[in-house]
Amino acid sequence: MLEHLGEKLILHVSLGSFSFSFDILTVIMSWIVIIVLVVVALILRRGLGQDIEEKPSRTQAILESLIDLLKGQLTSSFSSDKLAKELFPFVSTVFMFVLVSNWLSVIPYCESPTKDLNVTLSLALLVFVMSQLLAVRMRGGIRYLKGFLEPYPFMLPLNIVSEIAKPISHSFRLFGNTFGGAILVTVVSAKFAPVLVPAALNAFYGLFVGAIQAFVFAILTVAYINVAVES
Amino acid sequence: MEEAQNIVGQISGADIAAAAKYLAAGFVMAIGSIGSAIGEGIVAAHALDGMARQPEMEGALLRTMVLGQAITESTGIYSLVVAIVLLFVV
Repeated sequence: MLEHLGEKLILHVSLGSFSFSFDILTVIMSWIVIIVLVVVALILRRGLGQDIEEKPSRTQAILESLIDLLKGQLTSSFSSDKLAKELFPFVSTVFMFVLVSNWLSVIPYCESPTKDLNVTLSLALLVFVMSQLLAVRMRGGIRYLKGFLEPYPFMLPLNIVSEIAKPISHSFRLFGNTFGGAILVTVVSAKFAPVLVPAALNAFYGLFVGAIQAFVFAILTVAYINVAVES
Repeated sequence: MEEAQNIVGQISGADIAAAAKYLAAGFVMAIGSIGSAIGEGIVAAHALDGMARQPEMEGALLRTMVLGQAITESTGIYSLVVAIVLLFVV
């Protein structure tokens, strides 16, 4: 079991002078997550649309309370209600993608896409670009650039480094947690206890830590966007 | 005695490098996790203090506590990444 640890199936594609490399397993697993999310959404969408004050169906009642929970937990720390309303779909989508990715590792022969640094780094870069663009839009280009000179002009390098460090720590946190959990489960199940113990470890690292880390990822998304827009 | 000298003679530079790699990975995890563990404990303790004083604030405190612990944890995660790089890449 451990012989194949760390081996990856890499597809190299060269287009003209550019060459791309894909980790096929990660791509397939990411598509599985996307398909699961889309199919579940399409199935749950049927039978919605009644007013909540009248008699909603069971699925609608559950979904409404879930959405309320997500809204309360995730986007309530935005400074303005307008921003919270505007960014709730984005933040909850990131949350659900990371959550399903982390939970996928529980299924045999499936691996979390978040075990790959490329996935987490691209998610973090998405959040980074989004926060900077929103900051430019909300505060205006000149005030945004001036923000880097606060509180003193000689702090410019520090401000730039602190902005760049955000996506790096954001991505490494998720990657380190899922990857560390996966390594621990693999090593324990291959070397020490192949029966029953891996199931408990999988439940802890896949379900519990996975849910916590997805929540943390979404909360940090909110926090980074909020800081960039506000300051 | 002669046997021991033979074994010592067989140790090459690559062996010493591998031993140093494993030792370094162990030390990175052992020392690197101390700080984040203490920090997370402090965060949880103070959040519990606040919750005991004001139980109605539990939701907001829990969210901030998890956020603070996640940020505190990042140094531990960095040491994990360094240890993994030492073990599998270097």
